[in-house]
Amino acid sequence: MNIITLTDTMLVVEPQGLDKVWSFKRKLEIPLSHVRGATFDPGANQEPKGLRAPGLALPGKWAGTFNKDGDKSFWNVSAPSETVVIELIDEHYARLVLTVGQPRSVVDAINVAVQPG
Amino acid sequence: MGRNRSFIEAEVVAQCAEIFRSTGYEGTSIDDLVQATGLHRGSLYKAFGSKRGLFVLALRQSAGPAMPTHDSTDLLLVALMELAPRDPEIRSIAFGILSGVAPRHTPQSLGERLLERAREPRANEATTKDSA
Repeated sequence: MNIITLTDTMLVVEPQGLDKVWSFKRKLEIPLSHVRGATFDPGANQEPKGLRAPGLALPGKWAGTFNKDGDKSFWNVSAPSETVVIELIDEHYARLVLTVGQPRSVVDAINVAVQPG
Repeated sequence: MGRNRSFIEAEVVAQCAEIFRSTGYEGTSIDDLVQATGLHRGSLYKAFGSKRGLFVLALRQSAGPAMPTHDSTDLLLVALMELAPRDPEIRSIAFGILSGVAPRHTPQSLGERLLERAREPRANEATTKDSA
């Protein structure tokens, strides 16, 4: 599980509890100008994720950095039905794939926050 | 540094618009769009950023200079029903289309299209009847 917070300029992702350990990340801070958009995508978890380094992959649980087609993604998924995909630009990670509470509201909030004006 | 984009963006957007029109915005999953376009999920995200990003392009593309078609009106109705109330940018695109140079849509014409659309049998409905 992850907590996502929006400030005026930043998107902050905090893996919760032991997920901090599995994912090797305590906190990700992304400027909103580097966020292209968010999508509620329960099917994302069915996809091949690529090579993991470093991180954890168990049935029903994926956490850490995955490499595929030259792109790095950050995964912290424990409940695939509540998965959101956040596409980034000019960041270490091309994409974040995260389990969050109330995924639809989170997606709407991010997409409104990154709109110009 | 991913693979080259070897697809025609406008074509992909049109394929996705078709799905948005028939199943609505929330009713369309990324799996549906992956299936309709034949693209990888990662390529869709890389090219368009999000499902919403794709919808914005579809809405803009369908509001071309020509007279509105049933297809473009249906997409506009989806935008007005589902996204406009909670998404300022899409609201402004939708009302921009409504207040275009020539008055192509009126409340009357939108309402008529909505009722007409409700009476159009869908392919799956016809199949259900056939098998009954």
